[in-house]
Amino acid sequence: MTDEDLTHEEMHDLYELYALGVLDQVERDEISRHLGSGCAVCLGAVRRASMQNAGVLGILTPDSTPPGRVEARLREGVGLRARGWTWAAWAAAAACLVAMTWAGLKSWRISHELDATRQEVRRTDLELARVRAVLDVLNAPGTRAVSFGEEKQMPPRGSVFVNPQKGVVLIASRLPQLSTGWCYEMWLIPKTGAPKPAGVFWATEAGSAVHTLAGPLDVASTGAVAVTVEPGNGSPAPTSKPIIVASL
Amino acid sequence: MSGSLLVSVAVAVLSAVLRLRDDGELVERLQKRDPDAMAILYERYGRLTWSVILRIVRNQAVAEDLVQETFLRVWNRVAAFDRQKGALGPWVLTVARNRAIDYLRSVEGRAAESAFDLERLEHPSMFSGAPAGMLTGDWVKILRDAVERLDPNQRVLIELAYYEGLSQSEMAERLKQPLGTVKTRVRAALRILRQELGEAVA
Repeated sequence: MTDEDLTHEEMHDLYELYALGVLDQVERDEISRHLGSGCAVCLGAVRRASMQNAGVLGILTPDSTPPGRVEARLREGVGLRARGWTWAAWAAAAACLVAMTWAGLKSWRISHELDATRQEVRRTDLELARVRAVLDVLNAPGTRAVSFGEEKQMPPRGSVFVNPQKGVVLIASRLPQLSTGWCYEMWLIPKTGAPKPAGVFWATEAGSAVHTLAGPLDVASTGAVAVTVEPGNGSPAPTSKPIIVASL
Repeated sequence: MSGSLLVSVAVAVLSAVLRLRDDGELVERLQKRDPDAMAILYERYGRLTWSVILRIVRNQAVAEDLVQETFLRVWNRVAAFDRQKGALGPWVLTVARNRAIDYLRSVEGRAAESAFDLERLEHPSMFSGAPAGMLTGDWVKILRDAVERLDPNQRVLIELAYYEGLSQSEMAERLKQPLGTVKTRVRAALRILRQELGEAVA
């Protein structure tokens, strides 16, 4: 190993990025070479990082419902074009005992219900976690509430709740609908210095949104919480005039 | 058919169906090219796959194509998945993210991951031993607790890596921050996630 080589410990700090495929070329090549040498410890660490990445991805991602046509296209792709049976299947089915058919259909239905229930449990878990994060801020001692938009005739309106230990919750209504490819981005505006990005969010069809930024916050040095409309998945610095400003 | 025989048949059929809940059974059916298994795979992971891809590409039409591509890739490569070892979800999500990031990089004119590297990083063997229900139930809480320990700066960087596929140099350029600062924050964020998830994912 030369002086420029990464140590084992340094490589372990990079395995999640390696598994995500986002390492810069030099580091990526060095790790690839090392793994190619057959280091079992590091291969295990990369495998673990890959699974961790998938888990984090699952939890970070906002839940969304796919259109029904996605499944239909997929069925076509693997030859499930028709759900109907062939004549042979009908003949076989006719030969089956009624009780057997009943039992099979019943259990198949139970299986599908279990699938739906599991999906529902996951959605509920996620929703509960989001609600818990909001309540954490709202119920914490020392939380301050600041309303915005009351003096304006036009939308949006709402409140910002700020707690030095727990973070910020923004509750807004009457948000304008955004075109595809745009999002709302929340900013913490320090009394001095540049705005700090505080996460992106999208409004419901009714124009309401709840956005949480969990974690400690230096309220004393924060002058305001603002929201702008940004392209794509948000910007590192605001690119438009704020549509919400809640002065703290 | 007597009542007891009917009950036995019903129990046997029900047990057979319920065994399919386990991904091992599902993998076996996928490996046998059973198209119905693909429908079950989609029922289990379609919504999450869609959500991940849509979050990355922010375009419904593109997301539909990429979901299709993801599941067909899984269908074509599932032979290499060890059905005795672990859940399919993490692998499916990784394939989905890679398809979406690949698309994003191509439209933004950024260098794509080489096909060789991609093949290796999302090879089914990399996901051997993924815990059953990793993306559901108690895991949701463990993962959420881990993510919530990140401070806002760390979270922004993690999202840039996961959802935009940016390297640390690209993050530094995008955020106009020194590369050293970005590296320190990314390392700290990943350590937090690793510590929180450590034993659970090990």
